[in-house]
Order: sequence, then structure tokens, then C-alpha cells
Amino acid sequence: MDIKSNPQIYRLFFLILHGIYLCVLPGCENPPTNVELGNETGVLHWGNGTEPQSLDPHIATGVPEHHVISALMEGLVLKDSQTLEPTPGIAERWDISEDQLVYTFHLRSDAKWSNGDTLDAHDFVWSWWRALQPRLGNLYAYMYFPIKNARAYYNGDINDFKEVGVKAVNDLTLQVMLENPTPYFLQLLDHYSTFPVHQETVERFGSADERGTRWTYEGNMVSNGPFKLRKWTINQEIVVEKNPQYYDEKKVKLNEIVYYPIENGITEERMFRAGQLHYTNDVPIDKVETYRAANDPALRIHPYLGTYYYRINTRVPHLKDRRVRRALALTIDRESLTKNILKGGQIPAYAMTPPDTKGYFPPNKLEFNPLEAKRLMALSGYPDGKNFPETEILYNTNEGHRKVAVAIQQMWKIHLNIDIRLTNQEWKVYLDSESNGDYEISRAGWIGDYVDPNNFLDMFICGGGNNRTGWCNEDYDKLILQEAPRKKSDQNRFAIFREAEEILIDEMPVIPIYTYTSKNLVHSSLKNLNPNILNQASYKDLFLSDDIE
Amino acid sequence: METKSKSMSEKDYSEENSSLWKDAWTRLSNNKLALLGLVTLVFFCIIAFLAPWIAPYGYEEQNLILGASPPSYQHLLGTDIFGRDMLTRIIYGGRVSLLVGFIATSVALVIGVSWGAVAGYAGGKLDAFMMRLVDILYALPFMIFIILLMVVFGKNLLLLFFAIGAVEWLTMARIVRGQVMTLKKQEFIEAAHSMGLPKQIIIVRHIVPNAIGPIIVYATLTVPNVMLLEAFLSFLGLGIQPPESSWGLLINYGVETMEEYPWLLIFPGLALTITLFALNFLGDGLRDALDPKTSKD
Repeated sequence: MDIKSNPQIYRLFFLILHGIYLCVLPGCENPPTNVELGNETGVLHWGNGTEPQSLDPHIATGVPEHHVISALMEGLVLKDSQTLEPTPGIAERWDISEDQLVYTFHLRSDAKWSNGDTLDAHDFVWSWWRALQPRLGNLYAYMYFPIKNARAYYNGDINDFKEVGVKAVNDLTLQVMLENPTPYFLQLLDHYSTFPVHQETVERFGSADERGTRWTYEGNMVSNGPFKLRKWTINQEIVVEKNPQYYDEKKVKLNEIVYYPIENGITEERMFRAGQLHYTNDVPIDKVETYRAANDPALRIHPYLGTYYYRINTRVPHLKDRRVRRALALTIDRESLTKNILKGGQIPAYAMTPPDTKGYFPPNKLEFNPLEAKRLMALSGYPDGKNFPETEILYNTNEGHRKVAVAIQQMWKIHLNIDIRLTNQEWKVYLDSESNGDYEISRAGWIGDYVDPNNFLDMFICGGGNNRTGWCNEDYDKLILQEAPRKKSDQNRFAIFREAEEILIDEMPVIPIYTYTSKNLVHSSLKNLNPNILNQASYKDLFLSDDIE
Repeated sequence: METKSKSMSEKDYSEENSSLWKDAWTRLSNNKLALLGLVTLVFFCIIAFLAPWIAPYGYEEQNLILGASPPSYQHLLGTDIFGRDMLTRIIYGGRVSLLVGFIATSVALVIGVSWGAVAGYAGGKLDAFMMRLVDILYALPFMIFIILLMVVFGKNLLLLFFAIGAVEWLTMARIVRGQVMTLKKQEFIEAAHSMGLPKQIIIVRHIVPNAIGPIIVYATLTVPNVMLLEAFLSFLGLGIQPPESSWGLLINYGVETMEEYPWLLIFPGLALTITLFALNFLGDGLRDALDPKTSKD
């Protein structure tokens, strides 16, 4: 009698009955999986890691956002998915002046928005004006700074946008004047921060510089890429469908892409095995070996232009001291971490920029040296970790990040005798805490937006949107903003970058930990997915086919 | 004369009381399984309490080069991916899990039983009001409720236990209310009532002991629930944080790698299972022992 009062027994009973009904009556046939169905109907099922913070290209900052936005929108230029060389996008061709300061883009005449409106040069001028509005809080605003007067306008030194070097010469010609010759400028134009947005739509749901309006929601969003937004169910899926207005519509082979925000890598891997996904965002640390041992071709590990690092909030009193930050960096045993914990071919990182980024090698000024670290701690008033306040490592909820943090927590405990507390937060909350400076030490990763050391270094300028450490160094800013851009050859430019990076490593507002490798599980039916060091897929080229190559 | 009579009545009272418990104890000690459960629980509690002295390694002591290794002579239950000794971690994890199990269940028990008993006995408008309140709390997604409680209380381990207890009492209240409603119509309660006993005494001395069976069974079922709930909250970053651990968390992590390193799941799972079996046997025994209806035999 007592047992019956337990509702769980009923539930179990019901479940068993339900199972019998499902299984026995129709003959226990397996329903077709997502992958099987998708291959027939051209629907790609894509594991996207986490729920995007926003689909507004002038607000988003993360990689999961990138995947969705690059399916929905397109900038002036695209990248070849193999060589990463710029290829024509909305601009069908461009001229570059002799002194490399004036770029003239000729837009294709058949470019359209997903609602049928034509897309012209004025759209770009308006969008870039919007992206530079300080009130919008665009953390990527500094991507525009190579453009003449963009920085001054953003900082409020100039009030007239006409003085910024962007001009629509006519409907189909966009002229951009640069501050300095910027060899990577074309690459910036394939980044979502420079994508155009549809003025009418943005303004219908709020003012142009208002954050978080509903214009990116399902039913509202108007975009210009190979796909358009069909459905967005928070924390469940984002569905994009083929955009019939897209100029290259005939080439687009997929009918739909479904993005799943699965934060738990273990769940994602199981879904992949159960045929629910064509592509996983990551492979859990412990599974890499299993797949490797089985020689499974689904496992794809490639070099990835990205650095896994810890940000230090230099506004926190006990972390203000440069020596403390260096001591923390000196006591991470990166070799052991990459070899014994991560096991995915990651390379220990001793500088912010990954080695061999476009031929650039960072200075070698960091090592694993607990003795030196102890000395520095003693000098800054914490001999043997005495009186050092308990410090928090913040990470976004994820198994891999937890493992790295647990290992580092113990390394700091052994070598410096300091207590570390681990805190995890969901992705959006974590991004907010980070940009509000509401943390002590936080996990971070920086994936290259374009292939140039500048991308890894210019984020740490004073008040840079992706700096978030409160660190500010005038010499550093001078090198990055004034000296490097003036150099004509890469060799001279890289020398300046090395100088800047030495300052960065010496001051240590960030602790580089390892250079990423991209780890994905890819179903054999997904074709044309070329590996590249940015791990960016060109969605319009992908197709699904059961044929074995 | 007067002093004597007072001591007489005190004696009566204590004698009657001790014999009730004595009877219960005699009955319990005749139940081998229940005794076994009790001994196991006490044993686990002692081990958990003595953890710093008997654990073979430090619970946060890593050996990255060793990594995850199966049970061996040095590490009887193997090591996790950080090379931490599993036996040690299970012993330490038991501290958190047993504590949360007992504290949160006690909290749920106290709130649930008193709420249900009062509602059931009072009936009428008060009952309706109290039970509607329970319904409302039921309808709230309990995660949101517990997160709210955590925000108000702050991140404190003991308060976390209380917060879990504070959301687990609802079913208990309903069960007790139902029992009380059937009990209060029975003759012995009417008899107590007609003898002029105050309501509190009737509830505490006559009604609750008669409803003890379902209460104990449900309490033993609550213990594993709260242990797993703790693990879930910790996983979300609301409970305990690494390097500390609990059985629930160990199991959570073990499940993720059960194909690669099965021992990381099996041993903490065993610890939890044994505890639950022990609790169930003990609960069964206690119910039989404390049930006033069986005292006639």
C-alpha cells in the first residue's frame, strides 16, 4: 500500500507499457534518423555548441554566432574555403589604388535582400554607420578602425559620418578610404561585423543603435545570404532555409540547415552516433582516443587558428600586480596539460598569437618555471601564497573547460599554494560577466577572424571591446595602432608585432594556455567540407550525398 | 506529599515513553535486514566523518601522467582522468552526499509532516488554503524556485542543503495530509478528543505516530532524490565546486566516460546503491517497529 503511493512506480509502469506499445505493435521498426531523412531532403543537421548570444552581426562576438550568421548573411567579399583567399561576394570585383589606401568595390547588380529589396552601396554605408554607433555597444567596432577616421568617429572626436572614409559613389560602387595600407583589409570584409543589415527591418523594431531589438527574430529577420531564418526556438534549434532571392541561388545545394545548441559535448557525441547530427561542434576529450583507436574517418582533427587563454581582470586589487599575473602564468605546466588531459594534438601556447600565423612567430618569453614564480609571489607580498585571497576562475559550462580549470587549479595550489574557486555560467551569462568586468580570472578562447597576427593583438588595445581585462598600455597601443599599420612589408610589420607581444607577455593581462586544434565528427554523407585553419564552412558549397567517394 | 505525587506523575510519563521506544528497539533488533542496514549506514557515516585520517591520498592530489587508470594495488578503486584516487574521492564525496541526504530530508520531513498534519487535521478553509499553497509551489518549476532560494541565501553549502529540503517537502505534505484525514475520523481520535486533549497533543501523540509508515517510506525515497538533485545543481554551478565532490557528481562524471573508464561510474554508483539499500531496509524495519498498530501482537 505504501509503495503504491509512490508516483514513480506508476510512471515506470506507464513507460514500460508505452515502450511495449511502441515496440511490439508496429513491429519494432527503427524510425529513420535525422541524418537519413536529411540526406533525402537536403537538410543538414549541425551541432552548434551553444545558443547564440545574438544574430545581429553588429552585436555578436562568438563562434557559434558566426556559424549561423555566415549562413544568413554575406559581406562584400567571401573566402575560398580551402585557401582562405578573398573571393567575390556581394562585390563582384574591386580595384585597389596604387598606395593601397583606396578600395573601390563594384557591387553585383543582382544582389537582393531576402524580402526582394535590392541591396546597394547605400546599404553598406548605412550598416557601417550603425556598427560604429557607440550606443550600440559593438564589441567588434575596432574591426573598422583601419578605415579613415572610423576610430575618431567611434570615439566621438568627429561627429560627422561624412568624414569617415566610406562613400557610395553610385548605387553599385562603394569607395573605402583607409588610414594606412592594411594588407588584411579584404579579409575583414568577410567577417560578420562588417556585414550589411537591412535598414527598414532594423528600424521597424527599434532605433538603429538599440541593442536586443526583435529584428533578428523568426519572422522578422531580413538577410542577404544563401539562407534565411525560418525558425528560432531558444535552446532548441535554429532552422535556416534556402533563400530564393540569393544571387547565387542555383549553386546552393542544401535546402535547410538546422543548428542545435548542444553545450554538452557528451550529449552531442551520442547524438552523432545515433544519427541525429551530420556535424558536431566538438569531440569530448575522452572520446578522441576512442575514435582514434578505431581509426574512425568521422573524426577530423585539424590545426585551428585559435588560442585558449585565461583573462585576468586587472581591476581586481590583488591581480593588479604584474608579478602576480606572471607568477600565475609561469606555473601552468602546459606540456603536461596538452599531453595528459587534452590529448587532441593541441600545442602548448607561450604567446597570444599562434605560431606561424601568416609566417609570424611570436617571441619566446614565457616558460614553465615554478621557482621564478615563487620568487615573484614573495616579491609582491604573498610569500608561499600567504594572504593571497581566494580567487575565482570563471568558465562557461562545458566539460572540457572544467577539466582544464581543475588541472590548473591544482597546479596553482601545488606551486603557489593559493586557493582557487571554480565557477561556471551559461554562455550568455558568462559573456555578460566578462564584458562587465564581473570576474577575477576567466577562461577565454580567441579564434582568428582573419589570418594575420593583428587579429590576436589589436584586441588588447586600451578599451578594446574584446579586451575585457581592464589592461591598458600606451606603448602597446602606439605599436599596434600607429607603428605597425605604417609598415609596408609584412616583415617589418611583424617585427613591430613581436615588440608589442613582448610587452603583452611581460605584463600578462592574459595567460596563453594552448593553441587549439579543431575537433569535429563529420558524417560521411556531408561533402565539400574543406578543412581550413579558421574552421569556417562555406555553407553554400556543402551538399549531402550517400555516395561513398 | 505534594512533591511525591509530582515525581510520581513524571515517572509515569517517562516510563510510558521509554517503553514505547524500547518496544520499537526490540522489534527492530529482531529484524536482521534492518539491523544490517543500520550498521552499514553507521559504518559509512563513520568513514565519511574520519575521511581526512583514513583516506589513502588527498582528494585533490593529481597525477596527470598517470591519468585514468583501472583499479590496481596502489589505487584500489582506480583513478580518474586527473590521476586522483577514486577511493579517496568516494570517501570524501560521501561526506557531502550523506550530509545533504540527511539534512535536506530532515528539513523536508519537518516542514512536510507538520504542514500536512495541520492541514489534514484542521480541514475546512485552513486546509484548502494550505493545500492550494502547496499546489502553487508544485506548479512552479522547482529549478527556478531553488535557484531563487540560492540567490537569496547565497552560495553556502549548508544553505544549499536547506534549500533542497525546502522544495522537497511538497509530496510529503500531501501524503501526510491524506493519512491524517483518514485517521482523524477513527474512534481513537474521537476518544482522545472527547477526553479533552488539546489539538497539538492529539496531532503529535496520536496522529503522526499512526501515519509513520508512509512517512518513513517516503523519507527513504527522498534521500536518493536529494543526493542526485545536489549533483544536478552542482553541475549547473550552483552547488559544490571542484575539486570537491559528491557521489552524485562522481556518478555524473562517470556516466560521461563509462565506455572508456567504467570504474569511474561503477564504484561511486555502488556506494550510492549500497547506501540506498541500507536506507530502505532500515526504513522498512523502522516502519514495522514504530507502527503502533503492530504493538498489539
